[in-house]
Amino acid sequence: MSERTDLLALDGWAVHAPGWAAADLPGSPEQPACPPERAKEVLGRKGLLGKEPATRLALCAVHRALGLPPGRPAEPLPGAAGTAVVVASNFGNVETVCTVLSDMRERNGSVVSPMDAPNASSNVIASTIAIRYGFTGPNLTVCSGATAGLDAVRLARVLLLSGRARKAVVVGVEPADAVATKLAGLRPGAHPPLAAAAGVVLLGIPGAWDEPTGLRCGPVARHREPVAVTGREPGELYGAAGVVRLASAAARMAEAGPGAAPATVGCGDSEDGWASLELVPGTPAGAVA
Amino acid sequence: MPVAITGSSMVSCLGGLDETFEALLAGRSGVSPLRTGDPDKLNVHYAYSIDDAGAASKGTASGGPASTGRASTGTGLGTDPASNDEAGPRSAGRWLAHCVAEALRDAGVDPAERRVAVIVGTGLREHRAVEQWHGDGAELRLAQTHFTEAVRSVAPDVTEVHTLANACAASGYALALAVDLLELGEADAVVAAGCDTMTESMLTMIGRVGTTTADTVRPFDADRDGVLLGEGAVAVVVERTERTAKNRPALGLVRGVGVGCDAHHETAPDLAGIVATMRDAHRRAGVAPGEIGLVVAHGTATALNDPTEAAALVEAFGPDGPPVTGIKGAIGHTSGGAALMSVLVALKAMRSGVVPPVVGLRTPIPEAEKLALVNGQPLRARPRVAQVNAFGFGGVNAVTIVEAVDV
Repeated sequence: MSERTDLLALDGWAVHAPGWAAADLPGSPEQPACPPERAKEVLGRKGLLGKEPATRLALCAVHRALGLPPGRPAEPLPGAAGTAVVVASNFGNVETVCTVLSDMRERNGSVVSPMDAPNASSNVIASTIAIRYGFTGPNLTVCSGATAGLDAVRLARVLLLSGRARKAVVVGVEPADAVATKLAGLRPGAHPPLAAAAGVVLLGIPGAWDEPTGLRCGPVARHREPVAVTGREPGELYGAAGVVRLASAAARMAEAGPGAAPATVGCGDSEDGWASLELVPGTPAGAVA
Repeated sequence: MPVAITGSSMVSCLGGLDETFEALLAGRSGVSPLRTGDPDKLNVHYAYSIDDAGAASKGTASGGPASTGRASTGTGLGTDPASNDEAGPRSAGRWLAHCVAEALRDAGVDPAERRVAVIVGTGLREHRAVEQWHGDGAELRLAQTHFTEAVRSVAPDVTEVHTLANACAASGYALALAVDLLELGEADAVVAAGCDTMTESMLTMIGRVGTTTADTVRPFDADRDGVLLGEGAVAVVVERTERTAKNRPALGLVRGVGVGCDAHHETAPDLAGIVATMRDAHRRAGVAPGEIGLVVAHGTATALNDPTEAAALVEAFGPDGPPVTGIKGAIGHTSGGAALMSVLVALKAMRSGVVPPVVGLRTPIPEAEKLALVNGQPLRARPRVAQVNAFGFGGVNAVTIVEAVDV
């Protein structure tokens, strides 16, 4: 009874931002992360045909967070059944939607590839992750704007505490195609250019994941003020920000070892508000006996 | 822990819940010639769309789209957020805002006084507005691409708003999370909602991958021609039974919602995954299949859904299962709203003692011969517990068990 009961285990993480390596963006691969068109270097060749960039980036990050070697895993992954998948993404399929629209209007619907049919559905990233690794638990796609990443963590927490799952794969991902970039510009204030990036954290009831890291994360709080961002970022991460920052903070904390200070991770903007949570190291500071 | 539905509101192509239910009983379909996009280019000629141009007069005549009229302010659709005027993008958010406001009024819940969370399930989000921005130069702000702003326009004090893009099971998932938030004590009341506006891109896909020349949706019919899109919004307020306001009878109880993912195929349903979700729902609700007296099926009239769903129902209930009906022949596939609209129809059927027939059904498919499909005429029955199925692209499943309440 030495741990706070409102803390969830954070037992794995990965960041996949094309061109970025661990030295600059903790949680990234040692060598700069590959762009989506070279996702086969991480995932193997199979199952990538017709997959959008956001789906590929998310799969690359999930693959590494699960500790899997390059190449398609045996299906299903041992212990995958019942695992929840929660994905935050706002722009994942907007380019497909707009391209299908333009192609249909210019010619007619028969010129559109049936391969794009799954991509017309906004939950394609979460379902693709579930299918690839055999995650049969609750499967959510969160599209609530700038706070989507930590909203996804919040809803994963609800799924875990309510007993719907013991493990959750939580993803934040945005692509940076032309449509997404233009959409990202449709808000007040100055923002850096949209960056393609995916972040993943493996959350669970303590003991549920096979290889515990000792890290714990607390509940998500909503507020009216932004939280300072630690370290460099590839650009505007929008709905991916919450999970990318959490994964990066986890990597930094693990690197620092025992005695690392707790970290506060936040995301949001002036229109959607802000959200944050606290990440704590192995022996939780402020533990309640 | 039972959870009470204390308020509701919906808008379909047929109007509110009362108008929709009357049409179902009469076997009437709300289908009309497609008004979104070019039917010839899309290879889709019919849809169950909401007639915005005529909405003002229709709304006034019927007293607005409030589901029960109990707490309606009497505003017509023409001056309401539910109206989409021709000049701006067609927005699911405006129908949603209308339903959220109505449902909160219906329940007598004030977000300024209690902790109220909102969870919105959607299939196509505001992609219609994105299409009109991209293809027609319509104005758009980034915050309009999800539903926080729409909800806060009518309920500024809610604690949180989540937009879940969970395909055609979205509002079932929203209800599951709403129940969880109440059970965990993280909210005093939750609005679970669903909404969608049809998009040209999804219509393109339906016309492209289907072989359909369908002029109506015929669930479980041997000569069905596939699905047609509907649109609209729905919202319910759920509260813990011991916390509901006095003198406000609940519309029904949510016994439990099962959710899961087939993890099998991107677009095709999977028998094992669907049966597993049904059993999860039964377990959470604490009911045996024999206690369930009504099923409102997903019933999309696609080549794959109907035989798979029929087989799953036979597997879950055996050969002597309860009456089965469905609503998509009357209001089309309303995608994000479909699950909760079916929940409201199930509760209304249980309250009124009449189960509507499957509109559009003539000759059932062989796989459904062991199902007690309500065909042709309404069925007089007094079920107490109903099951509502919702299955979406990506194999996302949500199965809801609701119980009638004596008024």
